[in-house]
Amino acid sequence: MQPTFSLDLAQDPNAIIGTRIFDAPRALVFSAWTEPRHFAQWWGPNGFTTTTSKFEFLPGGEWRFVMHGPDGRDYKNRVVFDEVVPPERIAYRHSGEDETESIRFKTVVTFEELGGKTKLTMHAVFPSAEARDYVIREHGADKGQIETLTRLAEYVARLAQDANS
Amino acid sequence: MTPDPLSAKFQALADPTRRAILARLALGETSVSELAEPFAMSMPAVSKHLKVLENAGMITRGRDAQWRPCRIEPGALKEVDDWLEQYRLLWEERFDRLDAYLKQLQAAERSTLSKLPKKKQARATSRKGKRPGSN
Repeated sequence: MQPTFSLDLAQDPNAIIGTRIFDAPRALVFSAWTEPRHFAQWWGPNGFTTTTSKFEFLPGGEWRFVMHGPDGRDYKNRVVFDEVVPPERIAYRHSGEDETESIRFKTVVTFEELGGKTKLTMHAVFPSAEARDYVIREHGADKGQIETLTRLAEYVARLAQDANS
Repeated sequence: MTPDPLSAKFQALADPTRRAILARLALGETSVSELAEPFAMSMPAVSKHLKVLENAGMITRGRDAQWRPCRIEPGALKEVDDWLEQYRLLWEERFDRLDAYLKQLQAAERSTLSKLPKKKQARATSRKGKRPGSN
């Protein structure tokens, strides 16, 4: 099956970027993020249900919820909203027992109106020990040596292959 | 605060110079001076990047006093690759479900509208898009 979503790591070395277009007006797409009863319909994996104990959709606000797996296991989750700018932007940090999102980065989601459709971009920013600015100019690295690839996955797979050959 | 091992790898990768270093090391092990060559950068600056890569487990350095070759760790890259695929899949499925949910909401909206008398239908449709976010 063709993937409907891909990750871009070449554009910004400090972040993972992904976009998706939804055939719905921006106000509606944004509203699906604003209430726990909406979130519960799509946030968790297939077969999971969600119980929310706290939901404060404002900067500094928390969303505390438990995801119930089909095998009976419960997963505690906590989302902190850093920014809430209806209907264009949500920034949050997610911590919880879900292994996949245990990396501590801040995710910024932006909603763009595209003539009746909505372009949603998610921008997961790595915490960086050094300055976050794109410093390629200062370092003088030859751009030709850094191939532009649409997915770091392909890049690392190639590196691993070269290393093993 | 020391990051977990996977976060450390991402922090190591969050720099174009370090990515370029990894690309070069993927072709074979080499010395620090050889690595520094393509960059308009001092040896201490390159060494600093190598330290970050080494601490993150992305490269290893030889012990020979005369010659400390830098070597890439393919296992570390595989770990990143695997994580990225998991992450991509997580969002792909999430967005698939969001897509389905939005279609559901829109269908329900259309069905509600069609049950209204004609005048109210016309008024409701003209307000579409200016409607506030929540239902």
